[in-house]
Amino acid sequence: MFKNEEMEINLGPQHPSTHGVLRVKLRLDGETVTHCRPMIGYLHRGVEKICENQSFFQGQVWTDRMDYCSAVANNLGWAEANEKLFGITVPRRAHYIRTLLNEFNRIASHLIWLGTHAMDIGALTVFLYAFREREDVLDINEAFCGSRLTTTAFRIGGLREDLPPGFEKMVHKFLAKFSDCLEEYENLLTENRIWKKRTVGVARLNAEDAIALGVTGPMLRAAGVAYDIRKAFPYAAYSEMDFEVPTRTEADTYARYQVRMAEMRQSARIIQQCMDGMPEGPVMAKLPKILRSEVNEVYHATESPKGEIGYYLVGEKGSLNPYRFHVRAPGFINLQSLPKMAEGGLIADVVAAIGSLDIVLGEIDR
Amino acid sequence: MAEPNVPQTPEVPEAPAGPYVYDYKAAPFRQIAMPKTVPLPSRQTYLAEQKAAAEADEAKWQKTLADFETAKTKAEAEGKDAPKPPVRPVPRKDDNDLKTPVPEEAQDPDLLKLQALLGDKAEEIFEQAGELVCQVKKEAILEALALCRDEAALKYEMLADQSGTHYPAANGFAYSVVYHLTSISRRKRLRLRILVPEGFAPESACPLYPSANWMEREIYDMLGIRFANHPDMTRILCPEDWEGYPLRKDYPTVGWGQRDISFREDRGGMLERIALQKAGQLGINLKQPKAD
Amino acid sequence: MPTPTLTQSIVITLIQCLLVVIFVFVVVPLTVFAERKVLGHLQQRLGSTRVASGHVGFSGWMNRRMWKMGRVPVLSYWRGIPGLVGDVLKLILKEDIMPAKADKFVFFLAPSISMVAAIIVFAAISFVPGTFFTFPAWFPFVGGLPVSGGIADINVGLLWILGVATVGVYGIVLAGWSSNSKYPLLGGLRSAAQMVSYEVPLALSLLAPVVLSASLNFGEMSARMATGMPAWALVPQVIGFLLYLTCGFAETNRLPFDMPEAENELVAGFHTEYSGMKFGFFYLAEYINMTVVAALASAFFLGGPWLLPFGLQGLLIPASIPFIGQPHAIFFVAKIVFLLFTYIWVRGTIPRYRYDQVMAVGWKYLIPMALINLLLAAAIRCFAV
Repeated sequence: MFKNEEMEINLGPQHPSTHGVLRVKLRLDGETVTHCRPMIGYLHRGVEKICENQSFFQGQVWTDRMDYCSAVANNLGWAEANEKLFGITVPRRAHYIRTLLNEFNRIASHLIWLGTHAMDIGALTVFLYAFREREDVLDINEAFCGSRLTTTAFRIGGLREDLPPGFEKMVHKFLAKFSDCLEEYENLLTENRIWKKRTVGVARLNAEDAIALGVTGPMLRAAGVAYDIRKAFPYAAYSEMDFEVPTRTEADTYARYQVRMAEMRQSARIIQQCMDGMPEGPVMAKLPKILRSEVNEVYHATESPKGEIGYYLVGEKGSLNPYRFHVRAPGFINLQSLPKMAEGGLIADVVAAIGSLDIVLGEIDR
Repeated sequence: MAEPNVPQTPEVPEAPAGPYVYDYKAAPFRQIAMPKTVPLPSRQTYLAEQKAAAEADEAKWQKTLADFETAKTKAEAEGKDAPKPPVRPVPRKDDNDLKTPVPEEAQDPDLLKLQALLGDKAEEIFEQAGELVCQVKKEAILEALALCRDEAALKYEMLADQSGTHYPAANGFAYSVVYHLTSISRRKRLRLRILVPEGFAPESACPLYPSANWMEREIYDMLGIRFANHPDMTRILCPEDWEGYPLRKDYPTVGWGQRDISFREDRGGMLERIALQKAGQLGINLKQPKAD
Repeated sequence: MPTPTLTQSIVITLIQCLLVVIFVFVVVPLTVFAERKVLGHLQQRLGSTRVASGHVGFSGWMNRRMWKMGRVPVLSYWRGIPGLVGDVLKLILKEDIMPAKADKFVFFLAPSISMVAAIIVFAAISFVPGTFFTFPAWFPFVGGLPVSGGIADINVGLLWILGVATVGVYGIVLAGWSSNSKYPLLGGLRSAAQMVSYEVPLALSLLAPVVLSASLNFGEMSARMATGMPAWALVPQVIGFLLYLTCGFAETNRLPFDMPEAENELVAGFHTEYSGMKFGFFYLAEYINMTVVAALASAFFLGGPWLLPFGLQGLLIPASIPFIGQPHAIFFVAKIVFLLFTYIWVRGTIPRYRYDQVMAVGWKYLIPMALINLLLAAAIRCFAV
């Protein structure tokens, strides 16, 4: 007598909470999601192909534009992958400055995540508070390299310039107020009953599934796996830093929130240590004018705010541009886990799951 | 005398008539420079190259010595001053922080273990820039992956990355597919590599590592390597009806249409007008969007 | 006092209607304006609190001074008005788009239903008991006649209000259905379920004042609840107020219960396909509904036109005290304004519930609590009054 029919609905590509041009095809039984299929590629620009046809140095500009929220982290992975390919030893001071900027970038990226994720769940105010502090981080970026978002901060072999005068003051000013700001966000969210109701137990992804699906970053650490590339395979100056890898075992959206909040505190700690222990010396390795690669292939992974960002480079003998330039984008791999998290939940949980993934379509589609 | 009121219309050259089929081989911007070499790092090739280079160096030195001897006897015979004896050139040492990593012999227990387990299915093992590389036979990739994941001494739990490279200049294969494995518990990384000829469909890694799903779709999308037993072998980044595989080396880097004309050199707008005219012949209105 | 003829009373009623409409159309834009300003201040978002026409006059001078002092001039309260005016102009001038496959008549009807249902509720709301003002004797045609504080002082006022307010759901459901689009449909279905569910605890929480005051007449209820209650009645009043306010948030689709238009899930919910003034009608209806809910809450629980809330007026302030002992429309409006501020405050503070959680809150907590509150009120009615 009654016909039961499932409704197919397209979440995106133009939708307020898909963070760009993600399209998720959902099949709904009432409000329950029975089938979920993310469809990507709307922002595909062929970054890999472009970088293969440009010189080694020009690739950095494209790494900025992949994950534009964490451009410095992308630059760092790119620079270190190239250094590994050529076998360059980078001065220690350059490592420290890179670490410093990378951690600032982590804070900025997590702040964007916090704001947009909270807004997806309906808390409007946190978004603007988070952007207020992000603005200061962007100012610091601007002081260092002249641009705020797409930084192109590093060079192969070190840095283009040393820290500008007055930089230390900016950093200390930021650090002095940042913990208070974090408390302000936490006051609004952490113990908020509605926030907890919307996030606790929502979009679970346990450790086995996460590892099998290649999920990295805060998503994996929220499932109880203390895998942080900064600790596991230390790069830049991270082996000299004293910091913790926050983990949670609940593996839900709330745990991811807690992990990211704790990571911001750790980032502030690392920044403080970088400022305290900043060595003197040059910031650029001695290099020949023209870098020509040998036959070599490297895969270098670093911990971007979203997870493991890896660069796979193949060098051709005597060539000025990489033979193969492949990016292992953390968002691309993490997004694979969306059906696992979303199926069986409600449509509002899909939004929470997408928010907790912290995706940027620029890097997923490349 | 020209009449002042008649506007002078510039001469527009006639565009070729008929359907506009672009011959991209003839277009200067769509010329494709195909790679001449096969940059596939390998210890065997490296050793062979080193040996060949050393032999060539030695032969050159011997030839210099022989030349010197003949020159010396000639000079003695002619009663002139003997020429200076040649000095063997030492390779120049650059004063920089550059030390190109080379493929070294495998020392790592993981690689040795893997080779022992795989037997002759492992084609080659070496280390380069601190990375462990194991090249296996293309038919045995699933077996190798299963070993890496399940063997207690290896335990590579995560397939972090999977990618491929096109080697059009190679003999016997056309692509390499690399698997970057990560052992979270042991903090190690390993690269497995297979060499795939055109048309061969390697086994999908999805049953062992579900993360391979999208990565293999991406490889298919970008390079055109199909994977056998993949649950969903469709394009992922390009549209479903896209022609060609963009990351192949023979794929042109400049798109169709207006970019074939260099507007940078087109000061008078002549070429733009030609483009518009050509488009008009095709029935395409470039100036205004077509109304429904 | 002369008794008005039929024609005179019709004219007076029309004048009252006009006043109410003016009140609504003054309060609604002011609420929108206040929402921008208050949210702007809560979120430290300076744009909406700073936009102004130029740098002329006193305010321009003040702003320049404050910028020079290194402060952000957000304290000038007239700032932000151009944004509001622009918004209204945009709503009026914007192209009215209708989806090709929409049900044209229903699509047109839905915003009208919402709007009309929201506005005719005011017929039964009385702002002050008795006479609001008396026309001066020189006034033509109706000179010397009194104007009562509400348009229709009917003895089933509350029933009218509840009944008519429920009609507003039809507007939303029909909008969702007639758009012939999936997101509006989901929004419409959600709102149908949500509003029907929350009608129950809303009505139950209003039954407590009905039982206590033994009346359905708006003015009478308001007066008795403010002045004629024993001290015991404080408890059901406070509980009832909180229940009513929660349900009121849900009824008006405001955060944390803005399910029908949950913009991060359903794009814009039931009004996704609406634009121009049709969208403006939904927008207006939402704010009018907010005003209505605030008016009811302040009348039945916060003492209406008397100063003190929860029946404390009758207990603490004798009617003999000149200003604060007497009912005034200004107290009533002040309470409405405070409740409207609460709406905005809550919106800036807390996230949104999930759909199933909204329903769970409604059925599992609010309805039992409202029933218990009703029992409590009935007991007080039996033994204390």
